[in-house]
Amino acid sequence: MSVLDNLGINPGLMLIWAIAFIVLYTVLTRFIYDPLTNVLNERRNRIAKGLEDAAAAARARENAEADAEKILAQARSEAQKVIDESRGRGEEVAGTIEQEARQEAARIQYDAQNEAVAIRNTELGNLREQVLNISVAVASRILDENISKTKQKALVNGFIADLPEGAKGLGGSVEVVSAMPLTEAEQGKISSEVGADEAEFTVDPSILGGLIVRWSGGMVDGSVRSQLNELARSLN
Amino acid sequence: MDPQSTIVLGKAIGAGLAMIGAAGGGIGIGLSVGGAVMAMGRNPDHTATIQTNMILGVAFAEAVAIYALVVSLIILFVLS
Amino acid sequence: MNSFWNGKRRFVALLMFLAGVFVALRVPPVIPFIQLPGENFPAGFNVPFTDIRLTNTFVGSVIVWILLLLFVVYVSRRRPKDGNEVPTGGFYYLFEVLFEGLMGFVGGIAGGRHFRLIFNMFMTIFLVVLLANWMELIPGVDTIGFIHAHTKEKYDAQTGEYKVITTDGYEIYQGFLGISYVNGQCDWISPADEAAADQAALVAAEMAALNAEQELEVKAAYARYQAEHDDHSEGDQAEAAGGGHGDDHGEAAGESDQVADAYNEPLAAREAEKSARADRGCYTGVGPAPWADDGAEDAQADDKKRDIPLHPDPRSEEAKLVPWVVLPFVRVPSTDLNMTLTLALISFVMIQYIGFKALGIGYLTKFFNFGTLFKSPLGGIDVAVGLLELIGDFAKILSFSFRLLGNIFAGSILLFVMSFLVPILPWPFFILEFFVGVIQALVFALLTAIFMNLATISHHHDDEHDHADAH
Repeated sequence: MSVLDNLGINPGLMLIWAIAFIVLYTVLTRFIYDPLTNVLNERRNRIAKGLEDAAAAARARENAEADAEKILAQARSEAQKVIDESRGRGEEVAGTIEQEARQEAARIQYDAQNEAVAIRNTELGNLREQVLNISVAVASRILDENISKTKQKALVNGFIADLPEGAKGLGGSVEVVSAMPLTEAEQGKISSEVGADEAEFTVDPSILGGLIVRWSGGMVDGSVRSQLNELARSLN
Repeated sequence: MDPQSTIVLGKAIGAGLAMIGAAGGGIGIGLSVGGAVMAMGRNPDHTATIQTNMILGVAFAEAVAIYALVVSLIILFVLS
Repeated sequence: MNSFWNGKRRFVALLMFLAGVFVALRVPPVIPFIQLPGENFPAGFNVPFTDIRLTNTFVGSVIVWILLLLFVVYVSRRRPKDGNEVPTGGFYYLFEVLFEGLMGFVGGIAGGRHFRLIFNMFMTIFLVVLLANWMELIPGVDTIGFIHAHTKEKYDAQTGEYKVITTDGYEIYQGFLGISYVNGQCDWISPADEAAADQAALVAAEMAALNAEQELEVKAAYARYQAEHDDHSEGDQAEAAGGGHGDDHGEAAGESDQVADAYNEPLAAREAEKSARADRGCYTGVGPAPWADDGAEDAQADDKKRDIPLHPDPRSEEAKLVPWVVLPFVRVPSTDLNMTLTLALISFVMIQYIGFKALGIGYLTKFFNFGTLFKSPLGGIDVAVGLLELIGDFAKILSFSFRLLGNIFAGSILLFVMSFLVPILPWPFFILEFFVGVIQALVFALLTAIFMNLATISHHHDDEHDHADAH
C-alpha cells in the first residue's frame, strides 16, 4: 500500500483511465479508423483503376499514333504523286495555252494587218473618187476646156487599170499590183484578161498608176513610176 | 551529521548507483541499432523486417535499464 | 481570423519573445521541486463522483481525452465520405498522411487476419500517448498553478489518516496587483530552523564567552604564580592580593570587553547572515532574536512554529511561517504511473486476448510447455523457457509503463531545469522533447503491435500454424 502510494498509483484513477481508454478506442474505431480505412481502400482501388485506365489509354494512343503515322506517310506519298501529276499537267496546259496564245496573237496580228490593209484600201477607194475629181478639175483648168466627165473618168480609170501588153493570157497564180484599189468589175475584167486561174490584187500607192503583174515566170511593169523613170533616163 | 541528512545521502548514493545499470541498456541498444543499420545498409530490401526485430531487441535491452530506473525510483520515492 | 494567423504576423512571436525576456528578468526563477506522484490539488478538489483527490496529472489526462474527442469530431467532419471525394482542410491532410503511412507500417509488421484489431489498438495508443507526451511542450503546463503551502500529506497506514508534513519550499512575495508569487531566490528556512539557528548562535556565544573567561582566569592564575615567585613577602603578598584585586577592578573593563567580544562574535555572524538574507528580501525568522529581548519572545516563536497552518491566506502574516511552492494546475499525464501502468496493463491484456483468439486454448502451451517434457531430452529446457516467457510477459507491464514514464518524466524535468538555467532559450530542448514524445509514443504503440502479432503466431510452427490457419 505504501509503495503504491509513494509511486502515486491509485486504483480508482487507473480504473477511470481504463474506462476512458476503452471509450476512446471505441469512438476512434467507430468514427475514424473504420470509415477512413474504407475510404482509403476505395481511393486506392480507384487510383489503381485510374492508373490501369491510363495505361490502357496510353497503349491505345500509341497504337493510334502508329496508325496516324502510317496514314500520314501514305497521304504524303499520294500527295507527292498528285503534285507531280498536276505539275506535269500544268506544264502541258501551260504549253497549250502558250501555243494557243501565240496562235491567237498571230491571228490577231494577221487580222489586224488584214484590217489595216482593208482600211487602207477603203480609204484609198474613197480617195480615188477625189483623185478623179481633182484630176478632172486640174485637167479642165490645164486644157481650158470642159472635157466630159465620163471621158475623163475613163481616161483616169484606164490610167489606173490599164493592163500592160505581154501580160495577157497567162496561167497559174498571178499577183497584180495597183496604185489604187480596184473595183470588183475591174478586178474581174483584169482576171479574165490575164486569164489566170488565181489572181491576187495588192495595192501599192508608190507606183502612182498603172499595173504591175507578177507571175511565176516573170513580171510586166506597166506602172507610171517605171514609165516616168524611163522618160527621165531618155531625157538625160 | 543528523540522521535525516544521512538518510538523504544514502538515498542519493543508492539511486545513483542503481542507475549504473542503465549503462548496460545503453550499450545493448547501441550495439543492436548499429548492427541493424549495417544490415539495412547491406540489404535495404529487408528494412521492414530488420526494423521490427531491432525495435524488439531495443525494447528488451531497454527493459534492463528500466529495471534500474524502477529501483532508483523506489529508492528515492518509496523508501522513507 | 485566418488572415491573422497566416504566418505574416510574425510580430506575435517577437512579442512573446520579449515577454519571455521580461518575465525572465522580472521574476526570479523557481528551482524545480520534483515529485513522482501527481501533486494533489488542495483539499476539496475531488475527482467528480468519487472521493479520490484530484491530481494535476489527472487534469492533464482529462485534457488529453477532451482533445482527442474534439479531434474525432474534426476528422469525422473533414474526412471524405467516399473514395471519389477529394478531402479538404490543411490539418486533415497531415493526419491522413500520418494515418496512411502508419497503416502501411503496421501492415508490414502485422498484416494478417488480425490486422484491423492490431492497427486500431496501435493507432489509439499512439494518439493517446502522443497527445499526452506533447502536453509538456505547452507553455504553462508544469509552471502555472496554485501557490500552494508546501505541506506534504502522508498517508498513515496505522491511523488511516493523512498526516501533514512540512517540506522544503520557497517564500512567497506580493507581486503585481497583489498577486503572490514564489521567490525562488530564498530557500525556505522554517521558523523552527530559524529558532534553532538562533539558539545555536546563542549557545555558541555563551560557550565562547565561557572559553574567554576561562582563558582570562588561567592568565590571571599564571600572573599570580609569577608574582608569588617574584616576591615572597607577606605584605607584598597581601599587597599583591589587594593590588591584584585592585588591578582586577582596573583590568575588569578590558577583560569583560574581551569576554563580551567573544560572546558577541557568533551572534554578530548570525545577525550578518540574517541581514544578508533580509537584504535579498527574504524572510529572517519570527520575531526578534532571543538575545535581543527576554525569553518571552522566544517562547512565542516556539508557539508559532508548532502550529504551521496547512492552507493559510497568502496575504496574511501567517504566510511567513509556511513554505510555498507552485502546484501546477496541469502536469503531463505521461509522468504519472496511473496512466502508463493502465496503458501497459491494457496492452498486456490485449496481447493475451489476441493470443487466445488466434490460437484458442493452445496459446497456453507457450507458457506451460509440458508437451515435449517426456518425448525429448530437451523437454525440461522447453518447460523452463515457457516459464521464462510467462515472467517476461509480466515484465512487459513493468517495462512498458516505466519506459514511457521515465522518458517523459526525465524530459519534463529537463525542460524545467533548462528553463531555470537559461530562462529565455530552452527551445532546442523543446525540439528534442518534441521528437522524444513522438518516438516514445511510436515505441509504445509499435511494441504493442509487435507483441500482439507475435502472440498470434504459434509457438510450434510446423503443426499448429496450419491449425491456426484452418480456423
